[in-house]
Amino acid sequence: MKKSLYILLILLMTASWSVGCGSEKSNATGKNEADEGKSQSESGDEKLQILASFYPMYDFAQKVGGDKVEVTNMVPAGTEPHDWEPTATDIRQLEDADVFVYNGAGMEHWAEDILASLDNQDLTIVEASKGLEFIEGEAHEHEEDEEEHEDEDDHDTGYDPHVWLNPLNAKAEMENIKNALVEADPENEDYYTENYEKYSAKFDQLDEKYKEELADIKGKDIIVAHEAFGYLCNAYGLNQVGIEGLSPDSEPDPARMKEIIEFAKENQIKTIFFEELVSPKVAETIAAEIGAKTSVLNPLEGLNDEQLEAGEDYFSIMEENLTALKEG
Amino acid sequence: MNILQYGFMQRAFLVGILLAVVTPCIGITIVLKRMSMIGDALSHASLAGVALGLLLGINPVLGAGAVCIAAALGIESIRKKLPRYSEMAIAIVMSAGIGFAGVLSGYVKNSANFNSFLFGSIVSISSEELFLVCVVSLLVLSALLRFYRELFYIGFDESAARISGVPVRRINFMFTILTALTISIASRTVGALIVSSMLVVPVACGMQMGGSYRKTLICAILVAVFTTIAGLFLSYYIGLKPGGAIVLLEVAWFLIVIAGKTVKNKLGGV
Repeated sequence: MKKSLYILLILLMTASWSVGCGSEKSNATGKNEADEGKSQSESGDEKLQILASFYPMYDFAQKVGGDKVEVTNMVPAGTEPHDWEPTATDIRQLEDADVFVYNGAGMEHWAEDILASLDNQDLTIVEASKGLEFIEGEAHEHEEDEEEHEDEDDHDTGYDPHVWLNPLNAKAEMENIKNALVEADPENEDYYTENYEKYSAKFDQLDEKYKEELADIKGKDIIVAHEAFGYLCNAYGLNQVGIEGLSPDSEPDPARMKEIIEFAKENQIKTIFFEELVSPKVAETIAAEIGAKTSVLNPLEGLNDEQLEAGEDYFSIMEENLTALKEG
Repeated sequence: MNILQYGFMQRAFLVGILLAVVTPCIGITIVLKRMSMIGDALSHASLAGVALGLLLGINPVLGAGAVCIAAALGIESIRKKLPRYSEMAIAIVMSAGIGFAGVLSGYVKNSANFNSFLFGSIVSISSEELFLVCVVSLLVLSALLRFYRELFYIGFDESAARISGVPVRRINFMFTILTALTISIASRTVGALIVSSMLVVPVACGMQMGGSYRKTLICAILVAVFTTIAGLFLSYYIGLKPGGAIVLLEVAWFLIVIAGKTVKNKLGGV
């Protein structure tokens, strides 16, 4: 009796496995056909194919490109981009794409190697953070634990890559993207420029709003899940203390947790911020310890499906962040 | 003691010590059955269970427990089919677990949720988890004490145990389920690293230190409890990652015991 149960179980496992494989395969062939269709009509009036390395790049490229482009976000919705690596399918898409947009500054640790290995001669590559001023990676660490704090981050450069969290930097990134689109598709220059102008004004407004509303906020110190908010803090006179370093998802050590708890008590911090793409467990533990509440501060590294469906974008999330900061 | 003024450290000590007592009790039978890697296999399987639970919308801990039990029973049945290569069973189930976890995680929409099960850490244990660990520990401990003799027989020689009237099949079945339960819950709370090492390394130390089965077990528990406490202290005062610190202390202990024995033997020989 038991034996047959085992056999059933194993059969079930194999069955579901092969179903999984089967559907994947059919997906891939579907894509292949689509690709062939595309290459046939390449010469015709085709939309510019853009691959974006993660959400903000996708959002900015989509906003500038409007309906003249087709943007694909390489990192799937709801996935934390720090640990993400492209699959073979992604690399094949890169071979077929017209434009590749990435943030740079060490955010995409895989980008350099993969770009070097591509055969795609016509690919326009945009490093969106080019020309921006970077903050040193470990600028926000406390001096005393500098030696012990091994950085878990796998960024190649020593810079903090989260530039887009300052609206003015985001504007500059969008400008870089616009320039690249114009270069790849000069016919639609006016269209891209017009779109860029429109959003550039919105970035300025957002910046003004942040300046105004954060000017007389009482708590200048914020505790965040990982130190993604350096640019935002620098721009608006805040001070972030990250539970983790620049990359999320490493195991916290109790010495660091104690330090943060004491810091929070001293500065009477009422809110511990966490991110939607990272486990809130540590933030919750700390918040419970000091009787604070937890609240979301989104570093815009990726949105989940629900947010995308609800039509959220860079601006709406940044507004939410502002509200969260004011309440905190 | 200011190390205990924080709730998270109190919970870390409590859960750490509980698991340090329970896991070697399971571990000694596992080691004697030559299944040392089962901890890794089952913690990977429980990962697949978490993904499955999130996908089906049932409680992920429940999913992890269920898949873990299925995987453990799978290991047992493959072991019976291939008695000569019984260690292959663990490799097969581990591959299946990793494969499933990988494929299923692709469909999990909210990765934060998934990550929170992946990266259990001894210093971020919630009160519910504390409760869960206490219940499971008590359950496992009382069952193991109740069947201490039977497990002892089975550990050394299954066929001899069968001949002398031990209900081997039933005991094995129960033991497998207890193992799966402990591993699935513990790897969620303190992380797979601590669990899979704590099943084996303290027992290895115990075997070098104590002579009899009972002494081995007692030594193993002492080693596990001591290294857990020391590891938490170290991580608290010098800022080490707690999981890694505990495991390294266990391994260091093992090496010291081995070295000590070698030196003693050499001196004795001369």
